Formats: sequence, C-alpha cells, structure tokens
Amino acid sequence: MSQSYDRGTVEDFGRWREFSAGMWAWIFHKFTGWVLVGYLFTHIAVLSTALGGAELYTSTLQGLEALLVVRFLEVGLLAVAVFHILNGVRLLMVDLGVGLEAQDTSFYASMVLTGAIVVASVPTFLGGPLA
Amino acid sequence: MAKHYSSFERGGRRWLLQRLTAVFLIGVLAFHFLLLHFANHAANITFAGTQARMSQIGYFATMWLFLVTATFHGVNGVYNALINQGIEGTRKTAVKWVLVAASLLLIAQGTRVALAMNGFLQ
Repeated sequence: MSQSYDRGTVEDFGRWREFSAGMWAWIFHKFTGWVLVGYLFTHIAVLSTALGGAELYTSTLQGLEALLVVRFLEVGLLAVAVFHILNGVRLLMVDLGVGLEAQDTSFYASMVLTGAIVVASVPTFLGGPLA
Repeated sequence: MAKHYSSFERGGRRWLLQRLTAVFLIGVLAFHFLLLHFANHAANITFAGTQARMSQIGYFATMWLFLVTATFHGVNGVYNALINQGIEGTRKTAVKWVLVAASLLLIAQGTRVALAMNGFLQ
C-alpha cells in the first residue's frame, strides 16, 4: 500500500539545508526530467530539417556541431541523461522493494558515477572539427 | 526499516507504463548516446549515414519505439509533476488534454522525420 508524502514546496529556499539525500534525489530527478522532455521536443525540431532534404539536414547538424557552446551543452545533456538513468534504476529498485536501506548510498553512488562518466566523456564530446 | 514513499497511484495503468517505458528507455537512451556520440561522432553525422542506419528495419523500429516511449514517459512525467504541485479540477483536465495533443503532434512529426530519414518520404 502506498503512502502519500507531503514534500512541501521546493521553492521555499530556507528549507534546502534540511533536505535529506532522498529529497535531493527527488529534486534532481524532477529537474533532469524537465530538461530531457524539453530536449526531446527540441531534438525532433532540429531533426525535422531532414524533411527539407539531405543537404539542409547535414549542414544544420554539422553547423551546430561546429559551435563550441553546443559541445558544452551536449556534455550537460549527457550529465542530465546519465543521472536520470542511474537514479531511475535506483527508483525502480525502490519500487521493487530492493535495497531500501541503501537508498542514500545508492543516490550518492549515482552522483559519483554520473560525474565520472561525464568527466571521462569530455574529450570525446569536444573532439572533432570545430568552427 | 526504511519507509516506502511514492507520489504515484500504485497499481494504476499510467504508474505501470511509466515504469515499463523506463526500463526500455534505460537501454535505448544509453545505446543512442553510445552510437551517435562515441561509435560515430556527432560532428561527422551526414544524411547519408542517418539514412543507412534508418534503412535497417530493426534500427528504424527501435528508434520509432524510442520516440513513442520517450514521449509518453516525458509527458506523463510532466503531468505527474504538475499533479504533485497540486493542480486539480478544470486546470488538471486542460493540462491533460494540452499534453495529450502535444504528445500526438510530437509523435506525428517524429514519424514524418523518421520516414524522411529512411527515404520513404523523399
């Protein structure tokens, strides 16, 4: 049987110092979720250049990739996606009732692993031709 | 014993679909990033390369399912977040139908793009 839990408003900044690991996990999952769904709509909009022909599609994608700011935004997107995936796995485990006593530890592990994967990926994302 | 909290109405159809799509998306999103940023660098993407991938029926089907499941998971997540913020009544109904319309438009546009990528619409 589920229980409802009144988390209060996140916008009440004074409460942030009192947040537990679970509250931060909830906030980060929500934030990364908003970013990913926003990106999904943007991504389809950019890929829609395929409807305008091969040349438009290739030049649009390569033109965007030539911008350094886009490469940094991609690193940010990777960070957001990796955290959402890892914390999502953690949430599925919680839903299945597996490892409930390790919820805090698994949140910290998600954060550390996200950081490690993102840092290791920076050279790949910044490689290739730039404008 | 740790407490077991959930914002969702357990046992509901949307609750189950949110988790089933999550399991699918974990694998496909990781695959998408690995293929298009590590195996192939994003800066080297061309229409010809995209078309070669999208011409494979298995890849095309996976990407189309990726579109549909990501749209459901994302938009349903937004709906859950707004319910969590306390919207109800007419506002909740209005938000629901705006999100349904946005999802259907995104899937329709994504399908058109996928068909243009595999050469069907060109």
